[in-house]
Parts: sequence; C-alpha cells; structure tokens
Amino acid sequence: MGNLLEHVGIEKERLHFSWISSAEATKFVDVVKEITEKVRALGPNKKLKKQYN
Amino acid sequence: MHTYTEKIQALAKDIIKQGKAEVVIGFKMGTIPMASNPFFAKNEEDTDKLIWSSTCGLNLANYLSNVKEIDGKIGIFAKGCDSRNIVTHIVENKIQRDKLHIIGVPCTGMVDKKKISLSFGEEITEFIEDNDTLIVKSATKEEKLNKAEFLRSNCETCTHRNPVIYDELISDLVEEQVIEDQFADVKKIEAMSSDEKWQFFDDLTANCIRCYACRNACPLCYCPTCFVDESGPQWVGKGQNDDDTKTFHYLRAYHCAGRCTDCGACEEACPMDIKVRNFTRKLNKDSFEFFNWEAGLDINQRPPLDTYQPDDPDDFIM
Amino acid sequence: MKIIKIDKKEWEQGLDKAREGYHLFGPVKDENYHIIKELGSTDYPDMDLSASSDTILSPKSVIFPQTEKMLTASLDESQENHHIMERVDTDYSPRALLGIKPYDARAFKFLELNFDTEEYKDPYFCDAMAATTFVGLAVNTPSKFDFSTSVGTGPFDETGLDILLVDTDKEYLAKVITDKGDDFLSKCGFDNKADEQGALKTIEALKENAEKAIGSEVSHGKLKDKTILELYNASFWEDISFSCINCGTCTYVCPTCWCFDIQDEAKDNVCTRYKNWDTCMSRLFTEHATGHNPRESKLSRVRQRFMHKLKYFPDKYDQGLMCVGCGRCVKHCPVNIDIREVCEQMNSYEENA
Repeated sequence: MGNLLEHVGIEKERLHFSWISSAEATKFVDVVKEITEKVRALGPNKKLKKQYN
Repeated sequence: MHTYTEKIQALAKDIIKQGKAEVVIGFKMGTIPMASNPFFAKNEEDTDKLIWSSTCGLNLANYLSNVKEIDGKIGIFAKGCDSRNIVTHIVENKIQRDKLHIIGVPCTGMVDKKKISLSFGEEITEFIEDNDTLIVKSATKEEKLNKAEFLRSNCETCTHRNPVIYDELISDLVEEQVIEDQFADVKKIEAMSSDEKWQFFDDLTANCIRCYACRNACPLCYCPTCFVDESGPQWVGKGQNDDDTKTFHYLRAYHCAGRCTDCGACEEACPMDIKVRNFTRKLNKDSFEFFNWEAGLDINQRPPLDTYQPDDPDDFIM
Repeated sequence: MKIIKIDKKEWEQGLDKAREGYHLFGPVKDENYHIIKELGSTDYPDMDLSASSDTILSPKSVIFPQTEKMLTASLDESQENHHIMERVDTDYSPRALLGIKPYDARAFKFLELNFDTEEYKDPYFCDAMAATTFVGLAVNTPSKFDFSTSVGTGPFDETGLDILLVDTDKEYLAKVITDKGDDFLSKCGFDNKADEQGALKTIEALKENAEKAIGSEVSHGKLKDKTILELYNASFWEDISFSCINCGTCTYVCPTCWCFDIQDEAKDNVCTRYKNWDTCMSRLFTEHATGHNPRESKLSRVRQRFMHKLKYFPDKYDQGLMCVGCGRCVKHCPVNIDIREVCEQMNSYEENA
C-alpha cells in the first residue's frame, strides 16, 4: 500500500506502519512522536484531499 | 480467418455433443470491424458462430463469476492470461475445478484496436487477419500492417502466452517470449519526483467518466457490493470529483494486488482510452520482487498476501 | 428563410466577437479523441470532425452535466440562511454550443420530454436550455456507425437547432432557423446574406448525397404492433445479455439517456446536493431500501434498456424510437452489443416461430 501511494505521487514519508501491542505504551509514544515530526516536516498535504463544495 | 476458428468450432461442437460440457463460452463475430462478442454456445448449432482472432482481447474468465444457473459443466476457451485468472478463481473458491472444462488456447498476442484505428486515420470498414498480417480497409485505402507492431501493450511484455491449466489444447504450445525488462514502464514512473508522479496520475484519471467498465471487465472484481457502491457508510463519492475518481482507481488496484494477471481487459474496455494498467502494474512488480509471485500460476499455491512466511519483507515497518 | 454566407477565413474572428456575449462550447481534440468542452479564450471548435471521430460523450453534458450541484445548506447558525436548502448559484449567462451534429440536437428534444413537461419543469435543465444557442454542423460524410435516417433524423436534420451550418468546402452556409440563431450570428458579425434559392439548392444537393451515403439501416416498423409482453418474454434476451458486463458505457455516451441519481455530500456543517448521471445497467439502479431488487439479474437490466429505447418510449410518446442513430453505443460497447442488431431481432420476432 505504501508503495502504491508513493507511486501515485504521495510522499513516502506520509505513511508509516508499525506493530505495537497494547502493552507497549512507551513504544507507542515514541512512534507517534517520530511520525508526527516526519509528516510535519513535509508540510500540509494537498493531494487526495477531497474538495467539498 | 485465424487458423484457430475452424478448430474452435469443431472442438466446441464435439464437447457439447459428447456431453463434456453443457455450454461453451467463447467469442462470436462482432458487428463492426475489429470487434468480437463474448458468447455462450448452448448447442451444436450455436458452435458454428464461434470464432477466434486477435481481437478476442477480453477475459472470458470474467463470465465465470456468476454461473450458478448452469447445472452442468462449463466449457471455456482460455488463453494464457485467462487461464491464470481461472486458477485464481479456483484458489479463491469462486468456482470448483471440476465444474470447468477448459480448452487452452496458446496465444500469440491480441491487437490494440485503438492503436490501429489511430494509425490508420480513416474510418475502418473492414479488418481481415491473415496470420501475422493485418489487412485494414477503409472507403478509400487499404493497408497491410504487421501484427507485431500493433500488439496490445500487455501482450508485448507477456511471458505466459500458454495456458497454465487446461483439459485440452486447441493447438501446440507456442514459444514463450523472453522479455528483458518486464517492468520498464513502471520503472519510468518510479524515477519521477513525487510531484511529477502526481501530475502523471492526475492526467491519467482526468477523463474518467466512472462508467466502471474497467472494474466490470476485470475477472477479479466480483465483490457482490463494490466499495464504490457501498452507501452505508459511503466511502467514495459518485460524482465527477478528481479525488473520488483517483480513490476508486487506486483502491481497486489495491484490491487486485497480487491477483492481477495483466490481461488488459480493463484497458480494452475503457471507452475513454485511459491506460488503466498503470495502476496495477506497480503492484504486480512489487509482488514479483518482494514475493517472487505471479498470480494464477499454480492451483495449489496460496497467494502471498494470504499467507505469512517468516522471511516476508518488513523493512517498511518501524 | 435567411441564409448567411460565412467565409471560412472569417469564422474564427466571428467567434472571437461572440465571446463577449457567449460562453462557447464545442468539440476539441484531447490527445487521441474528441470531447465537448467549454472553449478557452484562444480555443476554437474542431469543425472538421471527420466521419470516424465523433466525440465520445455526447454534447448533452453541456445542458445536463455528469455531476451538477443542485442545492446547498449550512447548519452554521451565524449564517442568515442557516438550515435552509437553497439553489446553488450557477452561471446561466448565454452559451453557444457549436459544431454539433444534427442527431445530437435532436436528442435534446427527447430530453425535453422528460425534463420540460407541463407537470414539472426541471429548473436546471430548463435554465440551461434557455441560455443555449445550438449551432449545428451538417454531416456531409456520415460515419458507418450513423443510422440516423432510420430513426427519424438525419445528417441535415434541423430539429432542435437554432442554426444549421453547411460546409460547402469553400464556405459555410448558415441556415437561420430561430431568432436565437439570428442573434448569435449578429453578435459574430456574420451578415453576408446568401441568395436564398441558390443556397437552398446547394444545401439540398449536399443533403441528398449525405443521406444516400448512410450505410447503416435499421428496420423497426413492426415494433409498435407487437405487444410489450411478447417482446418481454422473448427467448433472444438470454443470448443478447450474456456478454454484457453492465458497465454503463452505453448509457453515458448516449445523447438520449436521461436517468440521474441524487446524492448528498456533507462536510462539517455544510451539505451539498448533487445530481449525477445514473445508469440502468448498474445493479444498484433498482435496488430498494429494503434490499429487494426487481432487476437483480443482468438479463432483466439489458432487456430493460432495449425495451425502454425501442418499445416503452415509442409507445408512450409516439415520437419514434428513443434513439438518434449516433452509433456511439455501438462503437464504445466493450463487448460489442449492437442496438441495431437487437432492434432487428425485436422487429422480426414472431412469438410462435
């Protein structure tokens, strides 16, 4: 899925996957922080964002 | 006439006469040049209408999705790609192997009808196939074309021209093509920047009228309710919105990941001449490179997205 | 009958003058095929649409677009019109639809039977029709898919047109059919009156040639004498419908198909109601809210389409078949289901044969 979205032009860094169990709270926080930073660095996404009205 | 036509008619007649199958699914002559019409022969008289030519580009496996009405066995003519789709249907439990009587048709490629029309320029009034030469006529001119130059793009890179599953063959197996770089078209897109890719796919989907011909011609698309038709909740809008249209194409491609045999029926069915295979080719390449998998080759193997192996690639997981 | 001579060299200049008062629409080439589009300020319609390259979609999208905003409402209580559904502001300033084939103009008259009736006038359709001037281009060399003469229209038919342009090679002869047409030509600055008798003779000769050149014919004279039930229960539907993949291409390219679906799309607290083309070929078309579907089988849907076009409509409206013979469905059907063949089968069907 990540490859397909990258292929159609959505930056690879916008989509991330991770296995986290409900017992791994610390890992969850770390992963979320990391992803938030990476995506924020890319700026707002305008692609595949449906325009209403 | 293609050399297969007489054999097809004779074989189909024999199959029905001997009760090997109750109906035989094939093609009959179209009403306009370069057209062929999927047809099911129910009796010996019907079999006289069957033909085979390089215009038989649609995937007959598509008609196997809903054949509950037919009690007996179903005969079906299957070229290389079609037979792989039949295997996929069997693996996915859509149909039982013993319900089918498959007549394999080793294929030398189907022609790209739109390409021929465009290059000819004028309105074509007659189209005759003479082995590897295509004779195209209009009101004012006649041209002889080399079939090899007008093959469909998926036929040009095909490495499975021979059917992989069959009860009988219509002719000897043909030599498989050796393609140096099967995914050259995908690599070209991969080399573009994110914005260039976005623009490429934007242009590709710009003219889509959401007729769903691609989805309906595809043998893999047999969901009773397609995700675009779902209304509770509605996942995708039905109007002419660019983002909705892209969502439909990308998500449909994703549903075909690891199952698509690149038969090209989607591209052939599209009335707006959209190169629909661009959406699925990347996934085919990934399936091949990550899992060494090509859909529909072995009736006993489960597809990679269905199974887990410890050495499955996982470098994308954080 | 006023006939104006238009020098081909002055055609584009005239259109430029018209742009001041009209939005121009017409066929343009998009990559490998033609589509109908609003013409940009430097675009001109392709007046040389050769026989084989008619537009894929018909011009009906200019009046009846594939997706059209109908109404909108906001729940935002700070807005004055909150909680009230209002018609969306659409630009209905004058438009000119240029270079369309006569059979497409005839099709608009069929659409009127549905959208512009005594009991109900669809405002979106009616406003668009009122704003549009139809400038047709007679077909000198009909395509082999064209069977318009069999269904009551033809390459030089004037029904539904405000102006009929005839290409005489050296110039265009513009037959002014309505006042709207007259206004348009004045705006363009085309006022070179042709000698009426001479021009009419030229046009008549070209018309005869064109009608003779139509190679495709369909017989349907016996359809009205057959009962609905005998055609409905005929045995040939199984064969005809087998190959159909229910994609809906035929309905989208057809200039006379008028079915639509209304959808609401909402985001946050604003909702918009859209009208989209719908297709009777889709299984969902007749699915009821209960889940029951009277046309669950593919055969019933394929039969419905042809019965509607060739039997129900002629019986109800007595205006001939609901088909203008453009041949688009024949050309674009992925499995080559041919309405001409179906019509012949229906026409020659004998129940007890």
